[in-house]
Amino acid sequence: MKRLGRYWSHVVASSAACMVLALSARADGSLTYQTLLPPKIVMGESTYLKITSLDSELQNIKIPEVPGLTFELIGHSRQMEINGGVASESSSLIVRVTPQIAGIFKIPAPSPSSNPVILEVLTDRNAGNPPLALNGQGPRTPTPPEPKPGNAAGIHFVADGAAFVQLKMPKRAVYVGESVPVDIEVGVRPGVVTSLNGLPSVKGGDFTLNNLSKQPERREEILDGKPFLKFIWHSVLAAVKPGDFTLTVDTPLTVKINTRPSEDSAFANLLGGPFLQNFYSGIKPTEITITSQPSELHVLPLPTSGRPADFSGAVGTFKVSSDVSASHMPAGDPVTLRMHVSGAGNFDRVDSQMLERNDQWKTYPPKSTFSSSDLIGYKGEKTFEQPLIAAQSGDQTIPALSFSYFDPETKRYERAQTTPIKVTIDAARAEGSLEAAAATPGARLANRAAELPRPDHAPTPAAETLVPLYLQPRYLAIPAALALLFAAGMFARGRAPRSAVPKATQRALNVLSDLVRSGDAAAFYIAARELLLESFSRLWHLPVEEITAVELDARLGPDAADISRLFALADEAKYSGRGAANADLAPWLQLVRRHLLGVSP
Amino acid sequence: MAAARAPPPSGGITLKCYYQSAWLLAAAVAASALAAAWSAGAYAQTPPATQPPATAAQQTSKVTQPLTTTTDGTYSAAGLYNLANAYARAGKPGMAVLNYERADLLAPNDGDVQANLTYVRQALHLPVQTQGPLDRIAHLASPGTVAWLGVLGILITGASLIAIKILPRYRALWIAATCAGLAPISFTVCNAIYWEPKTHDAVVIAASTTIRATPVPMGDSLQELPEAQTVTVLQGHDDFVLIRTPSGRSGWVARADLADVVPATSVR
Repeated sequence: MKRLGRYWSHVVASSAACMVLALSARADGSLTYQTLLPPKIVMGESTYLKITSLDSELQNIKIPEVPGLTFELIGHSRQMEINGGVASESSSLIVRVTPQIAGIFKIPAPSPSSNPVILEVLTDRNAGNPPLALNGQGPRTPTPPEPKPGNAAGIHFVADGAAFVQLKMPKRAVYVGESVPVDIEVGVRPGVVTSLNGLPSVKGGDFTLNNLSKQPERREEILDGKPFLKFIWHSVLAAVKPGDFTLTVDTPLTVKINTRPSEDSAFANLLGGPFLQNFYSGIKPTEITITSQPSELHVLPLPTSGRPADFSGAVGTFKVSSDVSASHMPAGDPVTLRMHVSGAGNFDRVDSQMLERNDQWKTYPPKSTFSSSDLIGYKGEKTFEQPLIAAQSGDQTIPALSFSYFDPETKRYERAQTTPIKVTIDAARAEGSLEAAAATPGARLANRAAELPRPDHAPTPAAETLVPLYLQPRYLAIPAALALLFAAGMFARGRAPRSAVPKATQRALNVLSDLVRSGDAAAFYIAARELLLESFSRLWHLPVEEITAVELDARLGPDAADISRLFALADEAKYSGRGAANADLAPWLQLVRRHLLGVSP
Repeated sequence: MAAARAPPPSGGITLKCYYQSAWLLAAAVAASALAAAWSAGAYAQTPPATQPPATAAQQTSKVTQPLTTTTDGTYSAAGLYNLANAYARAGKPGMAVLNYERADLLAPNDGDVQANLTYVRQALHLPVQTQGPLDRIAHLASPGTVAWLGVLGILITGASLIAIKILPRYRALWIAATCAGLAPISFTVCNAIYWEPKTHDAVVIAASTTIRATPVPMGDSLQELPEAQTVTVLQGHDDFVLIRTPSGRSGWVARADLADVVPATSVR
């Protein structure tokens, strides 16, 4: 019974480990995994191999065959896991593995994309290394144990021993800007820790930490007799300012924690069955952040004495060398001068201006490339390339290049120097092509320029700029201002009160004016009366026949008499056929105009 | 007689319109006069300042940067022309063409500049641009004259448009005047459109330069440009500029091998 309970706890643990491995390996494209728990047993015991497939195609999986081991299929299971709201299904085969002899066995991988697992079988608990090793593909072939036992000394376990994080630094005293390779190790118990929720972060000072985004190295280790999955990030730490700092590393992860009181857990244990135990145990996944033990770091400032003028901030151990793309070339052709800075240190601060322009060499700005020889960019080679063109032909020497850096080992500034490089510029081509080519057009021009068709000019006024006047902003302000002024004038004119005189009235008044000028009094009186009557009729809303002298007196007041008089003259002219001779019609025209344009009821 | 009580004549509206237009015209003229006075200080009529051709010729062997201005930082069409002649006689075709181009910008109506420029280009076996009708029109007057012609056109057009509102009886006259004003405006605009691209031109002053596909010294070579070739600068990148040749070919050329017809320091 006790052995069966232990079996189920192994199964649960192996399932959780399987999840961690599965999630991490999914990115690799592998869909089938196997786990062996426990990986180390003694003769007479059995271990359990769980083969998990994430694509639910277990029918293609074959039970492995290894000499010295007996494999017995005892069941299969199907799990549904929800991660971030996405459901994923997996199927597992559970195989009991019973050794017939002691030794180290390699159980082959169930699929090409998965890994084999190692089973260690001891003769008894107190035995040392097994006397022989057996391999799945070839018996009696020794293989290294995996997972191997790790050294748990100095590790500070957290979360009830389910995880740990530690920062490993090779030195405790560094200089500002110096790159220090560090390892950040995060160990988790498969099945207890279900996921890592973020990258480790360093707390405790101004530091830069590079390359953490890269995939960590993974190892399986047995620490304190428990299997741990260890993630190792290799990085480079660099201090920004001097001082004494205490560094810690935080890592967020999700761990399964028993939320039940201990008495309830004891009750759960009494339930006997693993399913009921798990159901009642109250184990829930909880997000926590684990912190490493503090590490002291002393950051020293770079010495100011003896600092070279060309020091760019490079700290480390470097060597320099130089070469050229060709040692013999035609004049005018560029040659690439290369300087190689190799070693270990903060290559991001390694810089060089290369060769300065001088009388012998026309130089161009250099460019640099870095190739790292490790994963973290701590060691490698930075190459500067600078194009040069020789100003003169013949044997030329490219001067030595120098590079200054601070060496933390010797604790002083160092200057590395290359050796001068000799190159040969093809003189024949220089004279035959470039110089001749340069001279030919000029000489040709000089020969003919004496016959320039037009002579020199007398001095003329000068201008401040060559830009044509109409392209200068100062000039453009003038037409713009004028256009604005005229637009404003048009706008003002548009807003002025427009004449309220209807065109028909204006035309009638023009006719009256013409009659006045012609002196036709009879026609004037008749036309004036008709015009006024139509106007009054429209204004007073009366028929023309109802506009009488009484009506005029009542509505026009003082002007009524003049209007009546005009009407009488019009009647007289109409009936007699003639108007008053030499009559002054202008006042009458003004009267009509006033009443037509300015009359008010 | 009722005629004695007749109302007084009323011609106030017409007179008011005359006063209004007169004020507007006066303001416009005053503003343009002020602006002209302000602008004149920036453009012309500074004391003559040219360099003797002989002196310039003596200096040609020493200059590494183009000699761009006279001693007081101003440009004279005659001075640039004389300088170009001196460079031509000294066998410096790049500098000669550069200064001819500059003189042409200042005095396009100067036939001597065009004649000598054409002569130098022919001597260098460089392509000579034949002048079409549009080119001849653009070379009719100096930019300053054309600019003020445009201002005059704006004055005539604006005044005519207002006059149409005020005195509609002479509408046909005002429309004719408006058209007469629009003509110099159009001429000025066309002139500006013609000359503006030439302010982005540059001349090869090195013995020869290479057009490269990329703006790096090791970039693939596309073509060799001879000295004194005029090109159009499109954009710059570090020590290189993207140019287009008169034949339409584009590429990157070392900035040091070119000199801008309108130097960057020239105030716009």
